[in-house]
Amino acid sequence: MYGGGNVFEATKFDDLQAEDPVKLAEFEARIARGEKIEPNDWMPQLYRKQLIRMIEQHAHSEIIGALPEGTWITRAPGFRRKMAQMAKVQDEVGHAQLLYSAAETLGKSREQMLTDLINGKSKYSNVFNYPALTWADSNVISWLIDAGAIVNQMANARGSYGPYCRALDRICAEEAFHLKYGHDAVVHLATGTPKQREMVQAALNRWWPPIMTFFGPSDKMSTHTETLMRWKVKMASNDECRQQFLDMYVPKIWELGLTVPDPNLKKNAETGQWEFTEPDWDEFKRVINGDGPCNAERLAVRRTAEERGTWVRHALLNPKAKYVKPLA
Amino acid sequence: MLKSLDPRVTRLNLPDGEVPNMEPKQELDQFETYEAFHQKKDGAAFTYVGPVHAPNEDVAFLFAKEQYSRRFACVGLWIARTENIMVTPYVGDTESVYDMIAIEEPAERSAEPEKYEIFHLKKRGKAHTHVGRVSATSYQEALQEAKQQFGEKPPVVNVWVVKSKHILQSAEEDKDMWFTIPEKKYREATAYKVMDKITKYKAENNNATV
Repeated sequence: MYGGGNVFEATKFDDLQAEDPVKLAEFEARIARGEKIEPNDWMPQLYRKQLIRMIEQHAHSEIIGALPEGTWITRAPGFRRKMAQMAKVQDEVGHAQLLYSAAETLGKSREQMLTDLINGKSKYSNVFNYPALTWADSNVISWLIDAGAIVNQMANARGSYGPYCRALDRICAEEAFHLKYGHDAVVHLATGTPKQREMVQAALNRWWPPIMTFFGPSDKMSTHTETLMRWKVKMASNDECRQQFLDMYVPKIWELGLTVPDPNLKKNAETGQWEFTEPDWDEFKRVINGDGPCNAERLAVRRTAEERGTWVRHALLNPKAKYVKPLA
Repeated sequence: MLKSLDPRVTRLNLPDGEVPNMEPKQELDQFETYEAFHQKKDGAAFTYVGPVHAPNEDVAFLFAKEQYSRRFACVGLWIARTENIMVTPYVGDTESVYDMIAIEEPAERSAEPEKYEIFHLKKRGKAHTHVGRVSATSYQEALQEAKQQFGEKPPVVNVWVVKSKHILQSAEEDKDMWFTIPEKKYREATAYKVMDKITKYKAENNNATV
């Protein structure tokens, strides 16, 4: 589960002048031919850094995203839903494993990524800094946050880095279940008793503002962004993803008689674009920088799991072990 | 103490407020890496599915089984330590690596020929697939042998060579570990059919909705 927000900040590796022009031309020609880049290929620093950052954030989002839903496993209504919720949470943790490995092929160790997550140096999707207050919140996450993630991941799966594409193919196949499961759960409440309808509407009202920030602020088109698009690192703009999401899911929300809590939300018939109230980007910035309702809890839970498991990992470690980064 | 909406989190008695940074994780805290290959159905070639981190081969097998064969049809699983896989350079999608590299003289040879498993990558971004087994006294000789036996048809973008003895293979009688996959319908997208409910709701609430 991952959006595109807050990923493509400038780095100090923007300067392509420092790169070998012959190798850079070969690299760009390969991507232009539609061939994927594999781990041992020559690649510009900017490509490597941005991919590490993007895949690492994606991995963190999967592992932290498992927490608000995981919390509902013990309280899921009924055995079948409990089984499904467990399967979904297990999938998300599995996705993190796949993604950490893909990022490792670019040269950042898993130990370093986990350290950076826990110490707040690396980010994860901001929506998971909000709580899942009720079972309906968990359902809205399963449906609409995963829907947003799929929009983003389907785009990224067409990107140029081989290991990320392989991971995303597997992830997208599993996300199809998440989306249907979430939709089913929301439909169940929305077509149920008045109290159930009220519950799912309240959850939607709570989650709509974070969902609208899920893909991040409008991209500032810079030469930097153009370069990343040419290299097929960034496959669609944040606004394109947001529009596609609204196109696919607002009608599905409306057909259930639910209200989207934004009086300005409508599709402009002339432009074909959705119009909406601009999300509160000040709040977004404040929350992503640590001051959200659940930031401290999410990281504390992750950290505790890491710390309490340390002695087990030490006991299991083969003294002759030698690290070799994953092949692909 | 950190107070959560989830009583189980509250019971962890975690500190609230600012906490000092965690010490950076030590090297190998997450163990070594292994590469996993699965067989989708009887007779199909083993195909690369991805890496796992694990403290040893047996645990790697268990992790890979969960990670890569929990959701989709599978009848066999192979595990090899990443360190034990010899990798050729990568070439373009229309080329054959066999035509583009000079296979070096081996630095050392085994006294007796050993079995080596050969994997080909046919297209960048796709997965390596097992093409067969050769007998040789070194990785280089195995690669030479693979070129003779399997190298005719380009493209071959990349080749992996692994000694057979370095691959942990699931046994024929282990297959039943995957028998339960089709039973878990609740994790298939097709198990969720909502259209009937939506249609019924719309019919009953024709005027009530926006």
